[in-house]
Amino acid sequence: MPDNWAYVIAAYGLAVAVFGAYWLRLGRREREAAALAAGWRDRAARAARPGPPAARPETTPTGPASRAPRP
Amino acid sequence: MSTLLLGWLAAVGLAAGLVMGFGVAPREVTQGNVQRIMYLHVPAVWVAYLAFTVGLIASITYLAQRRPGADRLAHAACEVGTVFLGVNIATGAIWGKPTWGTWWTWDARLTSVAVVFVMFLAYLLLRGAIEDHERGARYAAVLAIVAALNIPLVHFSVYWWRTLHQPPSLLKPGSSTMPAVIVTALLVNFVALALLGAYFVARRARLLAVEEEALA
Repeated sequence: MPDNWAYVIAAYGLAVAVFGAYWLRLGRREREAAALAAGWRDRAARAARPGPPAARPETTPTGPASRAPRP
Repeated sequence: MSTLLLGWLAAVGLAAGLVMGFGVAPREVTQGNVQRIMYLHVPAVWVAYLAFTVGLIASITYLAQRRPGADRLAHAACEVGTVFLGVNIATGAIWGKPTWGTWWTWDARLTSVAVVFVMFLAYLLLRGAIEDHERGARYAAVLAIVAALNIPLVHFSVYWWRTLHQPPSLLKPGSSTMPAVIVTALLVNFVALALLGAYFVARRARLLAVEEEALA
């Protein structure tokens, strides 16, 4: 039987691509989750500080602040 | 054991597995070098079985005790098991083309493994589809149990029905008829992929914990 090295390379290459993509995806989501957690911690720390409450930032153009009726 | 150490152990194991599969194990007489795909195809399904078994136990634990850690472990193990099962199915198709003359055939083994794969894809979709986290975790746990209970059906399908897929060479009663060097290459690759799977599960479970904390 011929050796069919192309099939061997395809199989191992596909495995490297799948495992590599999953590894990269985990890394990307870890960075996103860490940024999100840091944002929440920052907001909680600001809320715990004495003094007047901080103004809510307008995060997105379609967010609640932009839908509020204008004076 | 830290996740980073697990990752490095997996990397060393994968290098050893490649050396065993391509350097030490000889060219198979009947199939030629295409048989070397088996050093990836077979351990991948063993790791998938292992991950789904962890998912099964963690899901039962979650339903019994409602511990969030068990739910996260079940989620991570089932997701990683699905990745490994996908690699197993794809590499099997690539091996099947030069060996059987077809990428796919609807025989009992291939069909049953495809059903399990689709069930775990449904599990992952279900997890993302239900907004109420507790309800989603409960439904997902039930689905994981039902899906994992199909694994014996996949394994024994080659005995219960007439199939193109050959019967198991190692996970069977009695001693193996394979040469020791091939068995060793399979086992080294299994350990390497199991370490990789454990590394992925550890990272995924930790990520789920961080995400839950951030969104709480």
